[in-house]
Amino acid sequence: MMHVQNRQLVVPGELIADGPYRTREGVFREGNFIYSSVVGLTDLHEKEVRVIPLQGKYMPLRDDLVVGVVVDAFSSGWALDLNSPYTGKLFVSSLLGRKVDLNREDISKYLSIGDVVVVRIDDVDEELNVMLGAGGEPGLGRIKEGKIIEISPTKIPRVLGKKGSMLRILEENTGCRLTVGQNGRIVISGKDQNMVNAAVEALFMIEREAHTSGLTDRVRLMLEKTRIGGS
Amino acid sequence: MNKPEKLMVDGKRLDGRAPDELRPLKIVAGVLERADGSAYVEMGNNKVFAAVYGPKEMHPRHDAKSDMAVLRCRYNMAPFSVDDRKRPGQDRRSIEISKVTRDAFEPVLFPELYPRSVVDVFIEILQADAGTRTAGINAASVALADAGIPMKDLVSSVAVGKVEGTLVLDLTKVEDQYGTTDMPVAIIPRKKAITLLQMDGHFTGEEFSRAIDMAFQGCQKIYEVQRQALKDKYEVRREE
Amino acid sequence: MMAEIVAKVKRDYIVALAQQDKRADGRALNQARQASVETGLITTANGSARVKLGNTHVLVGVKVEKGEPFPDTPDSGILMVSAELLPMASPTFEPGPPRAESVELARVVDRGIRESECIELDKLSIKSGEEVWTVFIDIDVLDHDGNLIAVAELAAMAALLNTKPPEDKAWTLPKFPIVERPVAVTVAKIDGKLLVDPSLEEEQVMDARLTLTLKEDGSLCAMQKGGIGYFTQEEVAQAYVLAKENARELRKLLG
Repeated sequence: MMHVQNRQLVVPGELIADGPYRTREGVFREGNFIYSSVVGLTDLHEKEVRVIPLQGKYMPLRDDLVVGVVVDAFSSGWALDLNSPYTGKLFVSSLLGRKVDLNREDISKYLSIGDVVVVRIDDVDEELNVMLGAGGEPGLGRIKEGKIIEISPTKIPRVLGKKGSMLRILEENTGCRLTVGQNGRIVISGKDQNMVNAAVEALFMIEREAHTSGLTDRVRLMLEKTRIGGS
Repeated sequence: MNKPEKLMVDGKRLDGRAPDELRPLKIVAGVLERADGSAYVEMGNNKVFAAVYGPKEMHPRHDAKSDMAVLRCRYNMAPFSVDDRKRPGQDRRSIEISKVTRDAFEPVLFPELYPRSVVDVFIEILQADAGTRTAGINAASVALADAGIPMKDLVSSVAVGKVEGTLVLDLTKVEDQYGTTDMPVAIIPRKKAITLLQMDGHFTGEEFSRAIDMAFQGCQKIYEVQRQALKDKYEVRREE
Repeated sequence: MMAEIVAKVKRDYIVALAQQDKRADGRALNQARQASVETGLITTANGSARVKLGNTHVLVGVKVEKGEPFPDTPDSGILMVSAELLPMASPTFEPGPPRAESVELARVVDRGIRESECIELDKLSIKSGEEVWTVFIDIDVLDHDGNLIAVAELAAMAALLNTKPPEDKAWTLPKFPIVERPVAVTVAKIDGKLLVDPSLEEEQVMDARLTLTLKEDGSLCAMQKGGIGYFTQEEVAQAYVLAKENARELRKLLG
C-alpha cells in the first residue's frame, strides 16, 4: 500500500509504502515498510518505488559520460577529479584507444594538470575505483576551449530532457555545442559570446526550476528573446 | 550572575514556560553557499550554524575505511558566544561534545554506500544559552539531509532537567546552573531509539523514566520543525 | 590538504573576460558586490555584526572585559583581534591550529583598527598599571567567496559601532569610544587589470591582491599585499583611487 502520492516531496524517514515493491534509489526497507532516505520527490509505479534525490553528489556509473579535471599524473596515466567523492583513473592507452610504448613516448604531451577532459566511465568496482576511457569515440578527450559550469548532478536529466528534447532546444536556440556530463559539469562552446552566456543562464534556470512544469517552453522563450534582442 | 530566589513560581518557570514546554524554535535549511548542506537553528537564545561537507575523498588516505564512509564531527563555540569570552579553538568540553554528537548520528547513516570517503559535520555555536549540544544536533540533522546524505531518519535532541523537584524540558542557562540535573537526549524519532544520552546531577529511577518520556515528547515536536524546514526549502523551489 | 584546482579552461575564461573589462558575474571592474550589514544579533557579546558581501559571510563579536595592561602602556586599554576561518566556510579550511591565512586576516584587520586610532584606547584605563578594559574582536568566517579581509574589517567596524559598554561600576564613559570609521577595500590584479572585491574564483586566478584600509578623510592607515605576483607603482596608485571610491560606498553601510 502506498502512503504518499506520486511526485510528492518527502524527507528522510518518511514512510513511502508497505508491501513487496521493488526498491531503487532514495529509499530503504525495514521489514515490510519502505522509507525515504533522502529529501526528494517520490516516483511510484505499480511494482516499484523510488525517491529522486533533490541534492547529492555524483556517484560514478559505468557507461556514463563525464567531464573530468586532471588533478594528478603518474607514469602511465592521470587521475581525474569527477565532481564526486571518487576520482577516476585514465590510463594513456584508454585515452588514445591504442597501446602505448611508455619507453618511447612521453605521455605528458597529451594531458597536463588542470586540463578538462570528456571521458566515459568504463568500469566501477565495489570499492568505487573508477576506470575512464576516451579511445575510439569522437568528441571525447581534452577540451581546448569553452565555458564550463557545474550544476547539481541531480538536475542533469532535466538538462537533457525526454529523448534529448531540452538539450536540442538549448543547442538550436544558442548555436552553441553543449557537452553534458552526468557528473553535473557542462561544457559550452560557441563563437558568439552572448549566446554562450545565454546558454549558461538557461542552464542555471533549469537547475533552479528543474521540477516545475512548463520549463521547456520558458527556456525556449528566454533564449528566443535573447537571440532576437541581440543583447 | 546571581542565583534567583526561586526558579519556579506558581508552576511556571522564570521565562513563563510550563515545565514540559519547549523554548521558541526556528530552523532554516540551506543557509550557506559553499557547504554541501547547512542549517541555522535558534532554540531559545541559542544561535547555531551547522554545515556538512561530503561524502568526499578522505585524506590522509590511510585513515579511510576501504568499505565504509567515515563520519567526523566538530562542535565549536565562538569566543563571543558566552558571557565570559572563551578562547578560540577546541577545549576538552568541545572535544567530548564532538564525539557524542558523532555517535548520535552513526546509527542513522548508511556508511557502506560510500567506501573510502568522509562526511564532515561542523557545528558552530554563535550564542549560547544551555542546550547547545542539543541545538547543534538538531541543526546537523537538517544539514545532513540538506546535503543529500542518505539517512534512516533525522535525529532530534533536547535536554531534560530537574529544578526545585520538578522535571523541566529544554533548560535555560539559569535552570542548568541552579537546578539539580541536566540530561541531554537525542533520538531517532521514528524508532524512538536513543542515540545520545548524558546526565549529570540526580534522578530517582522513577524521575528518570518520566524524564525520558518528556524528552521523547519534546523531540517529537522538534522533529516536526526539522522536517518542515527541509520541506520549506525544497517546496519553494518547486513553486517557481 | 588538497588545494582546489581551477581548471585551465575556467582560468582562461576569467582572464579573457578581464581583458574585455568584464567579469564572470557581470560586474564592472570597479564594482563591489551587493553588501548587507546586520548588527546586534548576538546578545552574549557587547557588540556584534554580520556582513554578507555576495556569498562571503562573516560574523564578528566584540567583548569588552577587564584585564591587565601591557607594562609599557600602563594607561592604555588593550585591543585583541582574532579570526577563525571556520571549516564550514570552505572545503579548503581544515580544522586545526590557526592557518597563516587566518593569522594574516586577524592582523590586517587589527592594523586597520589600531592605526586609524578608531578606538580611544587611552580612555579605557581603570586603574593605572593594574587594570584596563580589553576589547576582544573575534571574527568568524562562515562562508568563503573571496575578499575575506575587507569583509571582516567591515564587520568588525560595524560590531564596534554597535558595542554597548559592559554593565559594570568600573565603566565610567558615556558610551563606547569610537571616533573613526576605517574601511578596507581589496583590489586584485588579473593580467594587468585591476578588479575591486574579487570573488573566490577571481582570487584563485589572480596574480596578486592589495588591501587598502582608509580613514574617513581618505588617508591610508593600513595596507597589505597578498598573492605571488607583483604590482607596478602605477597600479598601486590606481588601486588607491579605486579604493577611495569604494570605501566611501561601503562606509555608508555602517550607518
